[in-house]
Amino acid sequence: MNKVLITGSEAAALGAKLAKIEVLSYYPITPAFPAMERLSKYIDDGELNCKFIRAESDHSALAAVLGGSLAGARSYTVTNSQGLLLMTEVVYHVAGLRQPIVMGVANRALSAPHSRFPEHGDVVSQSASGWIQLFCENNQDILDNTIQAFRIAEELRVPVMVNYEGYLQSHTLEEVFVPEQSKVDAFLPLKRQPALDINNPRGVNTVTSPDFYPYYKFNQNEAMLESLNLIPKVAAEYNQEFGANSCGLIECYQMEDAEHAIVAMGSIVGTARILVDNLRKEGRKIGLIKVKVWRPFPVKAILEALQNVSFVTVLDKNIVFGVGGALATDLKAAAYGRGEMVINGAILGLGGGKCGVEEINAAVMETESAGSDKNKSVWIGL
Amino acid sequence: MALKQLPIVPSGDPGGLAESANAGVQRINRPVISDATKIDPIVILFCPDGAISLDESGFVISYKFCKGCGICAKESEGIVMVPEYTGPKGIF
Repeated sequence: MNKVLITGSEAAALGAKLAKIEVLSYYPITPAFPAMERLSKYIDDGELNCKFIRAESDHSALAAVLGGSLAGARSYTVTNSQGLLLMTEVVYHVAGLRQPIVMGVANRALSAPHSRFPEHGDVVSQSASGWIQLFCENNQDILDNTIQAFRIAEELRVPVMVNYEGYLQSHTLEEVFVPEQSKVDAFLPLKRQPALDINNPRGVNTVTSPDFYPYYKFNQNEAMLESLNLIPKVAAEYNQEFGANSCGLIECYQMEDAEHAIVAMGSIVGTARILVDNLRKEGRKIGLIKVKVWRPFPVKAILEALQNVSFVTVLDKNIVFGVGGALATDLKAAAYGRGEMVINGAILGLGGGKCGVEEINAAVMETESAGSDKNKSVWIGL
Repeated sequence: MALKQLPIVPSGDPGGLAESANAGVQRINRPVISDATKIDPIVILFCPDGAISLDESGFVISYKFCKGCGICAKESEGIVMVPEYTGPKGIF
């Protein structure tokens, strides 16, 4: 296994290259752009045999990728924020048509007011779209999750978004272990499942009556739920093959005797580990749960991890207006009827706001002092 | 629960949008020939391709291609529109 110093964008591009993607379409947007730049270079240098379709918008880009996938090609794209919103119609098409497309999303805050900085608001808007959503703590996660995403997507025929934050991850160099191509080939055998066949023409996405529509949605939901069984198996196999340390649905850190748990996803997890270490030195029984899979929401795994916990601080880099942070809301719904556990959410890091150890510490303190008012979200850094 | 056997990718046969298993019926009313002798042949030109044709036995309506617009019944005698759905009201 080769060790390199690369940005998150390069890790995403490298993951797609190792997966030997065959169709790529993209419309330039910051901060997702460098991933596509790197993939274009792989193609230009002859390192990747892939059809690159330049599109006039993000909507067309995902539509082109969808066409490639319907024809049976392994297809990939990258976008973020406004581009993802423009794609939204096709995002739902892809999921409903059960196409195993993988998309890197370099999470960025949404307009208005305009922002170019990291936040999870863009993918939270796609929470009901039927895409599996994986979150990455660091650049190693981006590479590992991108490779695993193709396996998960193709096995279940459910599309996967691999989320990493703009700039904080997309433009930041980190050490990444790169698996060997031959081993990735064995891990990711290309399973062609074309929906289009020129010898047997059919129309996709036909008008569907109420007699059939709910059945399609039921099957889609079943496949999503099945991914909760598959993802940990794929991660375990990946770890075994590549000597990696990729978690399944969630990862528990210092949770053995924890009474207070921090639950978070994305880049903030790495910083929260430092805070947990600091608070442990002061004798606090605190732990951390890293949520890798947010859609579908791994209810069982998280509740098991929280079995002996009495207080939870949820860190959300997003806000669902009038409700609270998306992760906190999901966790509260999951924990319904689970007795005395208090779950308080903290909103921080919106539009690129600082999420250092200090801010996370403030989130822990302020959610604690908010007591058991479960409808309250604490805003950090205002 | 008995699940209907459906393709994984929602899809239909070519030209089969109206009546294929995946599509269901798009029409609210369907045209029915009441008196073939009174039909004005102009409907053949006006209808979507294949929706109505003339063979040895007379005019034949294909419910695979007919969209149920009702123009034929309005413009020509010998065709009446009949509701596709006769169940409880308020669904369509």
